[in-house]
Amino acid sequence: MAAKLVVEGLSHVYPDEYTGQPVHALEDIDLEVADGELVAVVGPSGCGKSTLLNILAGLLPCRQGRVTVDGAPISGPGPDRGVVFQEHAILPWRTVARNIGHGLELRRVPRAVRARRVQEFVDLVGLAGFEDRYPHELSGGMKQRCAVARTLCADPAVMLMDEPFAAVDAQTRITLQEELNRIAMATRKTILFITHAVDEAAFLGDRCFVFSRRPGRLKATVPIDIPREKRVWKGLLSDPVFTAARDEILKLVREEVAIDEGTGVRGAS
Amino acid sequence: MNPGAVRRSARDALRSGAFNVVLVVIGLVLLWTLVSALIPNPDRYLPSPASVALSSIDMLYKGLLPSFFGDTLARLVLGSLIGLAAGIPFGLLLAINRSVADMFYPLMNFFQSVSGIAIIPIVVIWFGNSDTTVLIVILYTSFFPIAFSVLAGVREIPIRYIHAARTLGATRYRVIRDVLVPGALPHIATGSRLSIGFAWRAVIAGEMLAGREGLGWMIFTAQDADLTAQVILGMILIGGTWIVLDHFLLRPFEADTIERWGMVQR
Repeated sequence: MAAKLVVEGLSHVYPDEYTGQPVHALEDIDLEVADGELVAVVGPSGCGKSTLLNILAGLLPCRQGRVTVDGAPISGPGPDRGVVFQEHAILPWRTVARNIGHGLELRRVPRAVRARRVQEFVDLVGLAGFEDRYPHELSGGMKQRCAVARTLCADPAVMLMDEPFAAVDAQTRITLQEELNRIAMATRKTILFITHAVDEAAFLGDRCFVFSRRPGRLKATVPIDIPREKRVWKGLLSDPVFTAARDEILKLVREEVAIDEGTGVRGAS
Repeated sequence: MNPGAVRRSARDALRSGAFNVVLVVIGLVLLWTLVSALIPNPDRYLPSPASVALSSIDMLYKGLLPSFFGDTLARLVLGSLIGLAAGIPFGLLLAINRSVADMFYPLMNFFQSVSGIAIIPIVVIWFGNSDTTVLIVILYTSFFPIAFSVLAGVREIPIRYIHAARTLGATRYRVIRDVLVPGALPHIATGSRLSIGFAWRAVIAGEMLAGREGLGWMIFTAQDADLTAQVILGMILIGGTWIVLDHFLLRPFEADTIERWGMVQR
């Protein structure tokens, strides 16, 4: 499969907000995401995974290295890369339908076409009946569904997700993960999913990139060969392929955390 | 809680509060009548409520009251509309452009402290005792509160809303239109109310010092003519008008804007 998203030799250094000391957030990252692939990125907090996402989104400049989508280098934010943020970032003064249709509205898609597309994604994320509600009338899970639908409706080449389910309760999170799997299956979107939850990474990712602690490097890539149809929490927990992948990722992440806690040595096993 | 319920309960609270307010007002009027009856020469110092009411009927009959009242109200509307129309875009400009903000902020702070009344002498020197003078004073007074409110409103918008719009493909103009203006709207509503409140005081002050008609001018000249009942009538009209304006127009507008989008944390 063709590579959709390519990152080559990406490093990112920024001055600390208070001390002014240089912070090495990312160091020499090389990675590729294939067309239609869902890739999870895990790593300890502060490993630069959000910095990576912000650079891919175009919200941070790419100063060292090269980042391309469909071969074109990134310069600033653009509708070819949709983002789902950690905290729901849907606009409180727009209804669900107007939030979801925002990207199309910005592209001057005619109202009738827009309405049809919006309805399609309202249905896809299960928000039918809530089209005219304002975000403050929705639960946390529904807000995130709305955010996902908004991003998908703009039809980006790549969808970037920054710990999108971290702020919802555990029960809702499981549902949202299964829904995202279903959506990934239905839309064949290329998705880069950032998380600190190992279970989530193993559940969603076709592959999982494990990042080292700061400065963030790509420590390992763990493939998870489970067809999307089989990715349902019930049953998957006893699937040996899933558990092996999850344990592998967990081990890799814990090595990094252990270094942080001063109790381990890098690559201890 | 849904916003409808919040608004209803707020209205109920207002209604039960209104009853107590009426009691207090009746009490005050009784006290006023009593004091007026006990002091010597009440017509000079504190005319009774009845004589104030009589003087208002007299002025109504002569057509003076509606004309003064209309003049003052027209000035308030015109002056504060221009003030808001200038202050809202200016605040927005300060909010979206750091260097413009750095340039103008100290100046704005300076002028905000020079009250509308303090600029009257210089404006009178330039434009004489005229409508223009009074209008400039109102405009000047209403400009700063709204500009500062817009600035604060835009700065309080969470950056993730702006990022979200930009990643959806919004241009700079669309970020302003779709995020900054609606996001600052609750502050714009509050700031407008503040601005109009200041403007109302400025109209009266302006008319007293530089006008030739209007409520401010009426109470000022009534003092010269020893018409104390007219002075008191003017004061009651000034305060009463504000209460009506604020209660039935400005506050509902503010509350609706803030509540509709659930922008208050609850």
